[in-house]
Amino acid sequence: MKNIATSVDAATTKSRATQILGFVVLFGVLALILLGFFAAPEDDEQRDAVRMIFVHVPSAFLTYAAFSVTAAGSLMWLWKRSRWWDIVAHSAAEIGVIFCGLTLFTGSVWGRPTWNTYWDWGDVRLVTTLILFLMMVGYLALRAAGGEENAVATRAAVVGLLAAVNIPIINRSVEWWANRTLHQRSSLTDGNLEDLTLFTLVVGIVVWVLFFVWAMIHRFRIGWLEHQLRDIELQAAIAGRRAETANDPTGGSLP
Amino acid sequence: MTTDLTPLPPRPRYARRTAGLAVTVALVATAAVAVLVVNLVGGTLYFYNADEAVEERASIGDRRFTLQGTPIGCSIVEGLSGNESVVAFSVMFAGTAVDVVHFGDPAELFQADVSVVLDGGWVEQSPQVAGFAPLANDGWHFASDRMRVKHDNDYINREGYDERLARSAEAGGSTEVVCEA
Repeated sequence: MKNIATSVDAATTKSRATQILGFVVLFGVLALILLGFFAAPEDDEQRDAVRMIFVHVPSAFLTYAAFSVTAAGSLMWLWKRSRWWDIVAHSAAEIGVIFCGLTLFTGSVWGRPTWNTYWDWGDVRLVTTLILFLMMVGYLALRAAGGEENAVATRAAVVGLLAAVNIPIINRSVEWWANRTLHQRSSLTDGNLEDLTLFTLVVGIVVWVLFFVWAMIHRFRIGWLEHQLRDIELQAAIAGRRAETANDPTGGSLP
Repeated sequence: MTTDLTPLPPRPRYARRTAGLAVTVALVATAAVAVLVVNLVGGTLYFYNADEAVEERASIGDRRFTLQGTPIGCSIVEGLSGNESVVAFSVMFAGTAVDVVHFGDPAELFQADVSVVLDGGWVEQSPQVAGFAPLANDGWHFASDRMRVKHDNDYINREGYDERLARSAEAGGSTEVVCEA
């Protein structure tokens, strides 16, 4: 146990690069707050409520990105059986669920003063996003339920790939059901944004992407350390069992 | 070494537990797919645009449905229907107008030229609201009790908005044209 404890104690998920990246993210969040609250103009229809766009749209963008990484990792696990890809998929799913939850929450808070409702079950984009969120929570629950490591990874990979089918549906829903949704069309590609509003939105997306990269590196390293720890524990258990068997006068035969 | 390496007894329930988990996951996945499909199919009928609601009036009958249209600025009137406070206005979509009486407070961002999504039903009667000049005036109105505002993806500040209004006026803004007609 001493060896295991020493290995874990010595392990760290930080590096010089992630520390710098972390500071860049913190600076970026600060810049986003200043730009979003004080520099970007209010909207003539929505007034200050429009500022929610600087969190909502980047969160939605990163939801797509994170779950796409999960899908890619899942596919690679099923193809290559590479633990590296499995941990990438798992890490991205955990971060993606946070972004997806944030997307739903900020959308709901934004919807109250603008749409006059927190939620509408008839809107395709809202409900499909909720379904994606629930499927990915299910993905994490499946992981947490335990079982043989490879079997869990395979089951989770299938769920991760199934959930990813929903991503293009969510993204294109406001185009496919253009005159049937409460949700507006894409603000970035089809919208008409003031220069400073657009600039702040792009800053928000860049900051969220950097945060995603920072969080992915740390979460991946945690996952990798957990994997190594399981290996170390297994090796220690096997060594211990062998030692017991060697000392057993009966030869260590199992009942 | 403190790890307990005593061989574990067989776990006959493990297979049953795994099967149970698989069935649960399958059921949840099936339910999610079912909700997704129902939502996607239902999404095509989430609301009737004003022109479709008029066209389908006979088949809709007196059931509740959701209507979408753009309020015409000159038609918006606050008043009373009986003892209840209402907002009466006409909405348009694809050149067809529908007269609306909304019971209760309008949405915070309710205004001319910003589309609304309304829950309610057809009433075969001209709206009886003092001062309201219905644009459709076809002997029907839509009685609404829930309003959502369907804002667009334009995020414009005052200067930009003024420029946009000026451009719209030069091009013959929709509200002016309809009201003059």
